[in-house]
Amino acid sequence: MVRLSDTATGNDETAALPGDGLREGIVDGLRSDLGDRLLDTHLLPQKDLWVRVQPDAWALTAAALKTQGFEYFCFLSVLDWLPSPFGKGEDDPEAEPTEPNTEIKQGYAGGASRFQVFARVTDIKRHVGVTVKADVPESMSVPSWLPHYAGANWHEREAHEMFGIGFEGHPDLRNLYLPGEFEGFPLRKDFPLLSRMVKPWPGIVDVEPMPVVDEGEGDAS
Amino acid sequence: MTMLNERQQLSYIAAQAADARLNVELETEGMTLNIGPQHPATHGTLRIIARLDGEQVVWAEPVAGYMHRGYEKLTEVRSFPQVTTLINRIDWLGSFANEVPFILAAEQLMEIEAPPRAQYIRTILFELSRIANVSLFLGDLGVQMGAITPVFMAFRDREYVLNLIEGATGGRFHPNFDRIGGLKDDLPKGWIAETKQVMKKLRQFCDEIEDLLFGNEIFQSRTRGVGIIPADVAKSYGLSGANLRASGVDWDLRRDQSLPMAWDQADFKVWTHPDGDSWARCWIRLQETREATKIVDQLIDNIPAGPVMAKVPRIIKVPEGEAWVSTENPLGEMGYYVVSKGDLGPFRVKIRSASFNNISITPWVLKGVYVPDIITILASLYFILGDIDR
Amino acid sequence: MGLVDRGRMPAPLTKLFNMGRSYSMWVYQWGLACCAIEMGAAFGSPRYDVMRLGVIPLPASPRQADLVVVSGTVTDKMAPAVKRLYEQMPEPKYVISMGSCANCGGPYWDSYSVTKGVDQIIPVDVYVPGCPPRPEALLEGIVLLQQRIKNEDMAAKWRNEEFTTLQKTAALQQAEARPAPEPIVVGGGPIE
Repeated sequence: MVRLSDTATGNDETAALPGDGLREGIVDGLRSDLGDRLLDTHLLPQKDLWVRVQPDAWALTAAALKTQGFEYFCFLSVLDWLPSPFGKGEDDPEAEPTEPNTEIKQGYAGGASRFQVFARVTDIKRHVGVTVKADVPESMSVPSWLPHYAGANWHEREAHEMFGIGFEGHPDLRNLYLPGEFEGFPLRKDFPLLSRMVKPWPGIVDVEPMPVVDEGEGDAS
Repeated sequence: MTMLNERQQLSYIAAQAADARLNVELETEGMTLNIGPQHPATHGTLRIIARLDGEQVVWAEPVAGYMHRGYEKLTEVRSFPQVTTLINRIDWLGSFANEVPFILAAEQLMEIEAPPRAQYIRTILFELSRIANVSLFLGDLGVQMGAITPVFMAFRDREYVLNLIEGATGGRFHPNFDRIGGLKDDLPKGWIAETKQVMKKLRQFCDEIEDLLFGNEIFQSRTRGVGIIPADVAKSYGLSGANLRASGVDWDLRRDQSLPMAWDQADFKVWTHPDGDSWARCWIRLQETREATKIVDQLIDNIPAGPVMAKVPRIIKVPEGEAWVSTENPLGEMGYYVVSKGDLGPFRVKIRSASFNNISITPWVLKGVYVPDIITILASLYFILGDIDR
Repeated sequence: MGLVDRGRMPAPLTKLFNMGRSYSMWVYQWGLACCAIEMGAAFGSPRYDVMRLGVIPLPASPRQADLVVVSGTVTDKMAPAVKRLYEQMPEPKYVISMGSCANCGGPYWDSYSVTKGVDQIIPVDVYVPGCPPRPEALLEGIVLLQQRIKNEDMAAKWRNEEFTTLQKTAALQQAEARPAPEPIVVGGGPIE
């Protein structure tokens, strides 16, 4: 059977999935461009690749990736590694409050700060994507990716609004979503959801007695 | 496929030149035009502020956020099964397709895979939600240019697809049918035969729309050569789906990445168009609807027997790790970056929705167009407000 | 309309007027989220065909509408626009709140940016529950509203609005003594 999808590309690239060699090549290319400013990598063979760079090399990484062929900009956002001090608001409201966990533990490719910016770019020809991470320094700002990827514009505005991270070189970090009078950075872990504080989550804590079910109709679950 | 012939191209260029001369001769004062937040031309609550010079847009900026519901924060206080209820409502026209990448990401972290039967049914429902989504786009397209009829036809034929989705999942709109490890239920009796009938009807609908709309002279002159996006700009803005393929980039995640889904079992063509204008974007979507009906037809005869649910623990705890999974949704690439810390719920979910990137290009593409073209360009970029604002 | 101006309406005339009003309702579609598509299916699709109920879903602006259907999530950023729209509508005016989000916040009950129900901003006559409600549910909501309009004391509604100062005080006292009407809930009891 002649598959139409093969004739479109000319070769069957899905069958021969790009392997480790491809992703290791990407890391080598980045290392030659960035030197020791490439801090850490995490590679899941045949699946995905994470790299972590120094914050001052954040924009340089974008340029290096773009010359490697990563032309497609996927997304840019921020990770807040502080565990939420409020929990989920699903605990028994009468129970003793537990000590909140404040241990900051970063994910793949390590890290040293509470906030990390991360972005993903894709190489459309080689069918491979990379997730890039960088720690956010004390100054709470990193260089903007706007000169390299035009799509970073709105993503950086969103990150600024939600986490309060600045992007040096971005012309216009206006609020994208929230009305002007809104205070705080909602996606930070220490931003409380007030509705949950006022009213306990009804799914786990039964605030009302369950209705009586007739025998023989099975239990309510 | 019809192309502009040489005479049409020349007359188009001549008309553009005449307009430019007119603008030089008649000095016009600038004005600012506000469209929205609730305006029929903006498909929802997107607001556009445009600075005009005469009839030409000097600068335009969309104002989003009228539908911002804070998904990324809410996922942090929900458990994994609860999140699927929520994310159904991001792109509300193709709800089932929203669930799939999130469930796949969770499954990837838990290192389980849905049984083959579940993968097939997932793919079929995914394509059905694509049809339900894009058929409304095809109908709505006419409304933007003053043709009312196509939207009635779209609503008429879309009901058949919604009935199918309701028959299988119980929900017309928000199925919440996907579970980590498989599906909630198997297909009901008689569903397969009905689906085949409906797919025939939908192909007829595509033909009707092509006859009515795509061959129409007004439609062509409103969309041909309008809102051209070159391939490199499209990639750098992160445009995805039909918008990217209309710029000549051959990139479809259904074909180009390996996921535990059944797309590799079907034979379909990924359409591209070299023009990158509004017409190309509309035309690609029409072809994709046709291809989706073909995918459903091919898969539905070969659904393997077996269970629809893998063995998963009763209380779902996802191990620590990070995963990124994206799929080719009706609007484009939709992906979830899931960070888990081994709890009942995710630690952080970054939702990469297609319309957010697709609409961020509007300040670039609206520069220099005429006021009526704003509406056709926005319609052809095709966005859903929930998908922009999340 | 001299009789109406003085606050008195003969019962047969009221009946006639009410019948006219209930079967020529111009509906402004304030579609916000998922429910907007179901509203579109109810108003725009041949299967549900709302016009047979005497409802005209195509006014060009809220200034021409008798009824507004708020369907979908109302966010804090959108709330001022919803209020302004309501103020632009001419009296007598009615509001249908469609879907869980517009009723009470729905699945976004704990969100930081969602208004917990459109009734915090504008008065609501009919609540249609569901996420999203089926088009049939919206049609039932419209039918229930039409029944209410048919039994409405039209003069009372007008007294509240159109009077000169002297008569206005008297009318207001009268209006305060009148208990506020209970909202209708499709398919069941009251909403807490």
